[in-house]
Amino acid sequence: MTWAILPATEADLQEIMALEHECFGRDAWSQQNMQLELVSHHTSYFVARAEGQLIAFAGLSKVAASDQSDVQTIAVDPEFRGQKLGLALMQRLLDTAANLGAKENFLEVRADNPSAIGLYKKLGYRQIDVRRAYYQPDGVDALIMRLDLEEYRLKDSNREPLVLGIETSCDETGIGIVRGNTLLANVISSSMDVHARFGGVVPEIAARAHLEALKPTLNKALAEAKVSIADIDAIAVTNGPGLAGALMVGIGAAKALSVATGKPIYAVNHLVGHVGVDVLEGQLELPTVALLVSGGHTSLLLVRDLLTDVEMLGETIDDAAGEAFDKVARVLDLPYPGGPEIDRAAAGGDPKAIRFPRGLTLPKDLEKHRYNFSFSGLKTAVARWVEVAETSGQPWNKADVAASFREAVVDVLLTKAIDACLTNGVPRLLLGGGVIANSRLREVAKERCAKHGIELRIPALSLCTDNGAMIAALGAQLIMAGYQPSSLGFSAHSTLPVTTVQSA
Amino acid sequence: MLILAIDTSAGTSVAVLRGQDVLAEVTHTEGQKHAEQIGSTIADAIAQARVAPADIKAVALGRGPALFTGLRVGMAAAIMFAEGVGAKTFGVVSLDALALTAFSSGANATAQSPILITTDARRGEVYYAAYSGLDAFGAPIAIEGPGVMKPAELDDHLANRNLAPIRFVGGQDVAVSAAALGQVFAAHQAGGNANQDITALYLREADAVAPVSNRLAGKKVSS
Repeated sequence: MTWAILPATEADLQEIMALEHECFGRDAWSQQNMQLELVSHHTSYFVARAEGQLIAFAGLSKVAASDQSDVQTIAVDPEFRGQKLGLALMQRLLDTAANLGAKENFLEVRADNPSAIGLYKKLGYRQIDVRRAYYQPDGVDALIMRLDLEEYRLKDSNREPLVLGIETSCDETGIGIVRGNTLLANVISSSMDVHARFGGVVPEIAARAHLEALKPTLNKALAEAKVSIADIDAIAVTNGPGLAGALMVGIGAAKALSVATGKPIYAVNHLVGHVGVDVLEGQLELPTVALLVSGGHTSLLLVRDLLTDVEMLGETIDDAAGEAFDKVARVLDLPYPGGPEIDRAAAGGDPKAIRFPRGLTLPKDLEKHRYNFSFSGLKTAVARWVEVAETSGQPWNKADVAASFREAVVDVLLTKAIDACLTNGVPRLLLGGGVIANSRLREVAKERCAKHGIELRIPALSLCTDNGAMIAALGAQLIMAGYQPSSLGFSAHSTLPVTTVQSA
Repeated sequence: MLILAIDTSAGTSVAVLRGQDVLAEVTHTEGQKHAEQIGSTIADAIAQARVAPADIKAVALGRGPALFTGLRVGMAAAIMFAEGVGAKTFGVVSLDALALTAFSSGANATAQSPILITTDARRGEVYYAAYSGLDAFGAPIAIEGPGVMKPAELDDHLANRNLAPIRFVGGQDVAVSAAALGQVFAAHQAGGNANQDITALYLREADAVAPVSNRLAGKKVSS
């Protein structure tokens, strides 16, 4: 069972109240009180979700001027007890309290709840008082317990791993930090602007930009996560697939950081990272088909198990979908990157105005390339169409061309993705990669998945584009599953297959 | 002060120094293996020097000029190692390390007859720098370069300046040594001019050409 711990918002109120009633019965707070707790400036509430379902919540109170803090409440769905979820939530509360400057934490617990008392003792709490018959009408005593947070911070047993992830496979320098399945920082420095005048990613420019971005990106990520480099338990780094020269910058950086800090290193697969990132939103449900679409990749994966069973169903045999957007943008005199520009230009255009070809969809192609993609023919078709239109001297509508081109890309991507779901009997589709930002792609994905009863998952866009958090998350998955670190000798592998989740 | 020196402008070379004294140096001469070897080379050098990473207070990195891909591996490693242990980073021109090695092997030079260090820059060009000798602290004094030129042009350039260089070819006459690089840094520091510029000396623009036309295959559409 994997879960993710996220900051609670008012939108969680109904689900929290349902669990509150289930866990506390007659002692349950009113909805109004709970709502006040969630919005208060001196409280921090968190929820845990597994496969989308709210399975636990907990709250902390810390007044700015005080160095004391209190655990307000903690509730775990009975079905999910005994899995260290309570421990993980308590650790999140205590980390938060410490980061807010608290030196002590207090809580009260029913004297007839030995498992909770055991958990608190394990964390380092000591009983300091008893309130006789505090819990009414049962007449049960309350134990008042206190934890010294400075002592707690020095005692690291049983904690989820704090992992720093480094991603440099293309034009984004990404450094992310996670604790277990919890996202703490996700900082991305992109060299996209520098590539703009070349109309596409230039590998040497990307690699130069990575070298310059490393230090500031690292420091920003550490600041965002409110941790220091000494707190990090392990380092994860992308070693492929991607641009070799760009990958090597991240690899050199990660290996040196590992030697400097004495912490283990995990070399992980970029594409599997795009799938694994969904654990940070508590959603990854398996098996799933994953459609990963970016400027460098167009891949259709079947993931039965994130760490042991990832199958490449198909990928592009020429241009990536993102590249096709960039190239067609140039044909239409639109700037780089092409995706958002074509999205804008297509507004108001008729997607059926021109029937551009759908690559590898004819019966003869499907035999060999059922799940493969091809976009170079489409790009040429658009260029020819524009050339002919201009030669004829007739006015033509750029919005129609943009909309029709975009429709052709989206149609072929989703036709094949849905086919993969239906054929493999997998009722789930996960989207990833920067092209997921395309509004029409998301729209059509929603329509078609709904039509076929397929559950659609689209992680937050900041987790869809290339980022270090997904690499850290995959590293944390490996660690929590007991995998050994990689050696220091692994190499950059520009065509690393998805079957290699971790390189030795 | 403990110094870690890293240079990947040719092979992968890492050294640990205490001031000018070299405690350990590990060098792998194969090119193209930088990403694979950098981690264990650093670890081995530190282990041989019998020091703790956290005791390293300065990281000297070779800035090239050199072939880009390998150069960057060592620079990225140096920058992140420093972040990992809270050390400061300093830049050294990699050709300076070759010059120090040449001087250490007994080469004599003057302002009119400097030693000329060249390394292969591919595409029929060489990276070069010329040195007139060592300063009071033992750092090579560059009077030409670093630059990149075709050998014939470089000869003309030096002749025009009435220089009669003593030639050393990097990789043949002398190998890039991180120990020498660290010593150059230690000399800079002793002389009060440690270099905080840690940018790479590429000396060439990235290979990229902006498209001349926005249309297919560069063909301008008639209109």
